[in-house]
Amino acid sequence: MTPDLGRFLEVASAHLLQRSAPALEAGYEQSSVMTLAILLGVAREEVDRAAARRFEENKALRDFFRKWERVIGNAELRSRIVAASGGSDPSLRVPDLEENNAMLRALLIEMHVEVEQQQGDEARACEDALWHELALSTERRRLSLGPF
Amino acid sequence: MAELAERLARYIAHRLPDSADVRVRSLERIFGGASRETYRFVLEYSEATGEVERSLILRRDPPGSLIETERAIEFNTYRAFYGTSVPVPEPLWLEEDASWLDHPFFVMEELKGFEASPQAITLPPYAQHAELIAEQKWSILGEISRADPAVLGLDRVMESVAPDECGERELRYWESRIDRDEMAPQPILRAAIRWLRRNPPAPAQKRSVVHGDYRTGNFLYDAGGTIRGILDWEMAHLGDPLEDLAWGLNPIWRFARDGRAGGLVPREDAIRIWERASGLRADPEALRWWEVFSCVKGQSIWLSGAHEFAAGVNQDPILVIAAWLMGNSQDRAILDALGRMP
Repeated sequence: MTPDLGRFLEVASAHLLQRSAPALEAGYEQSSVMTLAILLGVAREEVDRAAARRFEENKALRDFFRKWERVIGNAELRSRIVAASGGSDPSLRVPDLEENNAMLRALLIEMHVEVEQQQGDEARACEDALWHELALSTERRRLSLGPF
Repeated sequence: MAELAERLARYIAHRLPDSADVRVRSLERIFGGASRETYRFVLEYSEATGEVERSLILRRDPPGSLIETERAIEFNTYRAFYGTSVPVPEPLWLEEDASWLDHPFFVMEELKGFEASPQAITLPPYAQHAELIAEQKWSILGEISRADPAVLGLDRVMESVAPDECGERELRYWESRIDRDEMAPQPILRAAIRWLRRNPPAPAQKRSVVHGDYRTGNFLYDAGGTIRGILDWEMAHLGDPLEDLAWGLNPIWRFARDGRAGGLVPREDAIRIWERASGLRADPEALRWWEVFSCVKGQSIWLSGAHEFAAGVNQDPILVIAAWLMGNSQDRAILDALGRMP
């Protein structure tokens, strides 16, 4: 599809911001149009990376599970973590990647709860690694207009 | 809009039985109200002493919003503080009968000609008054914290809470919203909730009126750096005064993007001003708990807005801005508050 989606979103955002909004009387509608323009700009930032960041994160989570499944004491949870760590994404479609991402992040929450309750250096090392992965997850989702 | 103006005029005529020729003109919606639809309008009518013209605000419940609140509590809080050292607009009429304007609403005075934008405060001509505005901002919060809810009559309209229950009650409330509205797993948010439960705060040193959304963006200021009105009391409740202090320190409100609290002054200055004005102490451990809590509350609000939008209940683009831009920043603020930011 050419011009590509990113370029279209850029142009649409600029049109709303520079032409549509100024043509409206100052007030609710004008502010709404300006907000929509900003949102198109944000969408432009996201559209390029939408599949890539999910694919990368799903892989990182499976790698994390493979590396740390040994610290999980709960056998039932451990078997689910092991199964998930051997999985793969069925396609590069964003909804498919997102579905797997949600499944993996839900498991990560369960694993986090389990590790928090454990004593010992290995559990603490796992917890630190888990927090590091969570910090990386915010970097993958970071938007240039985000306030923090 | 013409129909709404007509219905509003009919309602006000009902509230002003001694008036005649009640007219509502220049009714327009104000952008940005996340929990209420907010409109400004000019009211004109005749009474025995002559013609009256007033600029007023209509706050009407929307079909869905970022937050669910009691408009009666908001209205009564305006009424309680009106005429005190906490500047608020005069509240006029509260109407909970939805038949008048389809949803409950209230009407209050418009404080005209002032700025509220959290971005504008970081730019000329306001930026040069950052310290002056900060001094007032946290002094007024100190006044709110110091006020006696019973003297204000607010203990009769707000739910009571024991000093050692303030934190858990708020956490329980916002966690229930997250349980209801999250559309994807939130590992950082859930970890923060567990941390809060493992590290309960000391009991509140005092049960105060808590504004609930006390931050840059929710007060009016002028070009000389004077704060003219504290707005958006829709989340007001009784609780630990540190809740309000912590909310204003949340990194997502650092609008100047340079680390200053609320885009105004360093966090230590804000705390010092508040302590002086309130006569209370911001115990660092307790304040930290409330700062982590403020991130959980913030994320809950962004998640609820996203849910409302996705469900088609309310498709105001401000809900998407909040969800997209604030959500990830709020997660990062949690990492920062828990000392987990690399």
